[in-house]
Parts: sequence; C-alpha cells; structure tokens
Amino acid sequence: MLNYIWAGLIILSLVFGMVYDINDLASDTYRNGQAFEVNVEPNAPVTDDDRRIPVTVAIDAAGYQSFYGVTSSPDSTYQGVIIRNQEGMQLRFAQDASIPEPWATIRAETSERDNDLRGPLNGWQTAGGAASVTFSEVKFVKMRAIASAALTMAELAVELALGLIGVLALWMGLLQIAEKSGIINSVVRVTQPVLRPLFPDIPKGHPALGMIVLNLTANMLGLGNAATPLGIKAMEELQTLNEDKETATDSMVMLLAMNTASVQLVPPVLLVALMGLQINQLIFAIIIVTGISLVVAIASAKLLSKTKRFRTATPKLSTEG
Amino acid sequence: MELIRSIIETASVFVLPALIVGFPLYGLLKKVAVYEEFVEGAKGGFQVAVTIIPYLVAILFAIGMFRASGAMDFMVEGLRPLLGIFGVPPEVLPMMIMRPLTGSGSAAIVLDMINQFGEDSILVKMVATMFGSTETTFYVIAVYFGAVNIKKTRHAVPAGLIADIVAMFAAIFVVKWLFG
Repeated sequence: MLNYIWAGLIILSLVFGMVYDINDLASDTYRNGQAFEVNVEPNAPVTDDDRRIPVTVAIDAAGYQSFYGVTSSPDSTYQGVIIRNQEGMQLRFAQDASIPEPWATIRAETSERDNDLRGPLNGWQTAGGAASVTFSEVKFVKMRAIASAALTMAELAVELALGLIGVLALWMGLLQIAEKSGIINSVVRVTQPVLRPLFPDIPKGHPALGMIVLNLTANMLGLGNAATPLGIKAMEELQTLNEDKETATDSMVMLLAMNTASVQLVPPVLLVALMGLQINQLIFAIIIVTGISLVVAIASAKLLSKTKRFRTATPKLSTEG
Repeated sequence: MELIRSIIETASVFVLPALIVGFPLYGLLKKVAVYEEFVEGAKGGFQVAVTIIPYLVAILFAIGMFRASGAMDFMVEGLRPLLGIFGVPPEVLPMMIMRPLTGSGSAAIVLDMINQFGEDSILVKMVATMFGSTETTFYVIAVYFGAVNIKKTRHAVPAGLIADIVAMFAAIFVVKWLFG
C-alpha cells in the first residue's frame, strides 16, 4: 500500500509540475521579454550623478489586468528605487512589497535573495513620466520547485529526526528505570483486562502493554513530546514478539491506528498557540470527534487485518514471550 | 464544562514533572541503580533517531514534491464539487487533504484561515477541530515503524486514513451541530 502511495506521490508531482510548466509556456503567463508600461516619478529632484534614485511607481490596474490576463490587481503606487549605471537604469520595487500574481512568482524566481521585483527600465526621463520595465524571463517554475522541495525536505527530515534525540534519550532512560523498578508491570496488570482484547497477540503480563498504555495516555493529554518516545518504545517491545522483523504485526498496526486517532482531552500545544482562548469552545468538539475516530480506527484495524489481502501477509508470532 | 477543562489542563501540567520525578524516585525506593539504568536506557535514543532518518526522508521528500508541484491545488479543485454534495464547505478542503500529509503545512492552513475569516468563524472552528482531532498519519507511520525497521506496513495506511477521513467529516458535522 505504502509502495503505491509513495510512488504515486512522486510520479504525480512530476506529471503535475510538467503540466503546469507547459501550460505556463503555452499561455506565456509571465509575459517573458515583454515590456510593461509604468509611470515613475522621482521622490526628489534628480541630479546628474545620482546613482540611486528613490521613486514612486504608479501602475494602472486595468493595464496590468489586460497585460497579464488576470483578475487580481496591484496597488496603485509602489515605492521603489532606480539604480543608474553605465548599462542603463534598473527599476527595483521596495523589498517585500505586497504584489499580486504573476509578479509575486516573478519576484520569487528572479530575486530570491533581496525579494524585490526588479527589471531594466527603458525610456525614462529624470523629470518623471512614463517608461517601460522588462522583467527577467521566468520558465519551468514548478520543475525547479519540485526539485528544490525534494532537497529541502530531505534536509528537514534529518533535522527532525536528530532533533528527537534528546527527548528520546530522556524518555528511554526514564522508561528503563520504570521497567526495572516494576512500574511497567503494575501498569500492565491494571490495564490488561481492557487492552488485551485489542492486542490479542501480546502475551499476558508482557511489558509491551504497559508502554502502549503510557503512550496512549500521553497522547490523550496532548503531550506529543512524550508520546512519541513512549510509542517508539512500545513498538520496540512489539518488535521483540515479531518473527518477521520487516513486516508489521496486527498489534503494531492497532497501536499505530490508535495513535493517529487517539482521544484528545487536551488539544495539542500547537493548536492552542494558534487559536488562543477560542480553543475553550472546541475542546468538547475535539473530544467527540476523536472518540468517534478512535472507535473507527480500532474497528478498521481489526477488520482490515482479517481481509484476504492483508491476512496473507501476517507474520507468524514467536510462541515464547 | 469550564471546571472539567481546568481540571484536565492542570492535570496535564503535572503529569510530566510527576513522571520525570516519580520514576527515579520509585526506582530508588525499589533499590534500582537509577542513574546507571537511566544512562543505559538513554543510549537507545540516538540509535532510534538515526534509524528513523531513511524512513522520514522517504516520506517527507515525496510529500514535499507533491505539495510543490501544485498537484494539491488540482486535487482540491477536482474534489470540490464531489464533496459539496456531502455538505463539505469548499474552504476546508485543503485541510482535509493536507492534514495526513504534513503537520506544519496544515498548521499554516489554520493560521491562514484565522487571518482570513477570524477565530470566531465556523470555518475556522472546523479546520481547528480537524487539526486537533487527527494526526499527521504518514509522519507517525514513518517514525513508529521506522524506529523498528518495519518496511511492510500492511493495513496501517488504510486503517489510519479511514480513521482520518471519518474524523474530518465528524469534525464538520459536530462543529455544525454545536455552533451552526
């Protein structure tokens, strides 16, 4: 399943990227090489040896829309600067100015570092007036975007994984103590009657159940940082029971399903940060929704494990615990 | 409601310190060599983090490409009329597609919608409930199965996604029912 989804994501990105780019080329979305008419007034009288001339750029919204064939319109004026040297004049819009598409894409593609829309200016008199600006050519936006997304995400993945080391070490150390001192065993004894039916292939009294309980509890309380190491520890315990080390057992899938849909008594920290006090109203809604999805997750993990497609792949369980 | 919430909130604040102090304390009472055992266990942390890397790279780069290619927007456009039949407001669709794939991406959607519609709007309540009720399924699969080198995930993806889809629809109807 994951094989198909994974390959599908990659192939679809290539196909869609190509369709978008060819479409851009065919309709000349960025009007590559064409001059755009603007009205540029200097903010102060210009002397002959000024190299940087602060200016106000006026743009005719209707002209913009018909030139690019879009419905969005830019602000009527922008601050900017003209850089003058031997080669001529270059108009630069103010950094981070709010500009509509397709200008936003042109800026992102051609002035990545400074984030100012820029292009050579023709036919401008220092007294001010109409002139035309030509932006650099923009091509294959999506192709470039998917390549750079692949590289940055690969880096991000390593950052994320390595960022876990500290928390993982902390919790795995604590859990080692908990195991040796018998805490996990007590947890197992207490929760066994409820959880065993969901994880029938875990032998009675096995520490895996204790880890699962701790993981699910941490999840319920919105402690994402603690839940992940606990879940990983639970997976490790389940893996000791697994004979085919490459294939997930029913219990592993059950744990995973319960994790992706666990009841949230306390919403995740990130959501609280985003929503502020409004979160108060949503807690009840989130509890109901996660309650429903937990039931569905358990049911679908149980039922799917019995379907022909997935059952035939079930690994044998080792008999000794 | 307020009271229950504040009790749960307070409890969740105390859970972490209680565990972090409680485990070693109890271990000490049981005459466990707590420091040595802690270090012994903590050694595993690095190993696990490194083991996860290939799984996480595989999942995240594919999702990153998919997002960057514009395929996501295309899917949203394609599914819009279909899901409209089931009473799904078109504004929440990007969230439904994004949520199982990326955590940061879907958080950005919540933020964007707050800016657009305001925290009070029912649409924001819907996406926030979706965000709070579901997990980044593919990330969880990569991390949990990656940590123990499970490559054949069997029915984990369908089971997780079914739960996600149900949660998304449930979020829409529950929010409509509570606030609509």
